[in-house]
Amino acid sequence: MKTVGVIDYGQAGNIYNILRALKQVGASSLVISNNLDFNKVDRIIIPGVGSFPDAIQELKNKELFNPLIEQIQTKPTLGICLGMQILAKIGFEFTKTIGLAHFDAEVKKIQCDEPVPHMGFNKIKVVKPSKLIEGIENEDFYFMHSYEVVNYENIISLSSYGGHDFVSAIEKNYVYGVQFHPEKSREAGLNLFSNFINI
Amino acid sequence: MRIIAKLDVKPPYVVKPVHFEGWRKIDTPDKLAKKYYDEGADEIFYIDIVASLFQREILYKEFEQTSSKIFIPLAYGGGIRSIENMSKLFHSGADKVVINSYAVQENPQIIFEASQIFGAQAVVVNIEAKRADNKWKCYSDSGRIPSSYELLKWVETIQENGAGEILIQSVDCDGRNRGFDVDLIKSVVENTSVPVVASSGGWSEIHIEELLSTVSPSGLAFASALHYKNLNISKIRSFISGN
Repeated sequence: MKTVGVIDYGQAGNIYNILRALKQVGASSLVISNNLDFNKVDRIIIPGVGSFPDAIQELKNKELFNPLIEQIQTKPTLGICLGMQILAKIGFEFTKTIGLAHFDAEVKKIQCDEPVPHMGFNKIKVVKPSKLIEGIENEDFYFMHSYEVVNYENIISLSSYGGHDFVSAIEKNYVYGVQFHPEKSREAGLNLFSNFINI
Repeated sequence: MRIIAKLDVKPPYVVKPVHFEGWRKIDTPDKLAKKYYDEGADEIFYIDIVASLFQREILYKEFEQTSSKIFIPLAYGGGIRSIENMSKLFHSGADKVVINSYAVQENPQIIFEASQIFGAQAVVVNIEAKRADNKWKCYSDSGRIPSSYELLKWVETIQENGAGEILIQSVDCDGRNRGFDVDLIKSVVENTSVPVVASSGGWSEIHIEELLSTVSPSGLAFASALHYKNLNISKIRSFISGN
């Protein structure tokens, strides 16, 4: 039985909706709130509501920052929204913050003429096929973000907002990141979780 | 453009206020949320319209019943007074929190704190505007209590404090089904860089056209028009995309 560990980073992470989506697709899950919990899971989800510096600070407070860097080397991992962003090397939300640095990427404010945050359902344009999005490449996903991951090497898909293309999904060594919220993207989002637990 | 179903909740029912008063029962929020989810809504706004007015605690359990049935974004508003309230709401299934009364009457700083902790995208400010001469004044507690803020001053204040989205409601037009306050919505959209959700008064395609021919908000919220089946989500969507 595969168990997905969902990182609990304090008051900001909305883990409830992710746990509910995992339950809906029949996955067993566990909330990870300390280092020892990692032993009980073989997959990891980093959820995403909050700000980059707060998320990193919370991980450090809970002594999860370094263990998480180690864990994602060997376990399939999915970062969602801010959870994707903190997988990058550096974040520039409010202040410069060092991230988990799995991806050689920076996180910057979206530059476009439309209102920011970018909110609503949007398409993805696949750059490189991935098991994560198999069968749902043409679906819409829900976005809710003011920052984007700037990366050039590990892109699964781009999305477009206000005439500007940004990275909407990334992958490197079984570590995945999605800028959208699969737990808020209807059936397509649930299918993404199914894909992830079957990787 | 996002289409949002707005549930004005007076627990345990969704009610339809007229001018924010004179409530009529519609159905329970969990049933309606599921219904509008199935019909294709982009988001649901759940607003407890009496929590602030009655100075009552937030009913988290009731809210969680609604959140457990849908897989689209759900915003909660009503009676929020602290970061702790918000944190509990996010753990009860909220994706966004909607703030008005406490911020506009007592402490605009709460918007800044919320935005820092939860990210701007999770912080919606609900503005209840009422016409006074050729301007608008901001109200709270479902349009009952005036604040000291004139509309554009408040828009500027909340934006400086890091609000991620504005829900603009009109005390004059709400529940009357006679169309949006187009000038009001235009005024807000033109004076902010954050997404604006237009609400209050949209009842028919004509009203949508009236609005969209003048201004392009980021989302449209409907209550009565959906509850009384004068419009449905797919009808609205095909009308907007054909326009």
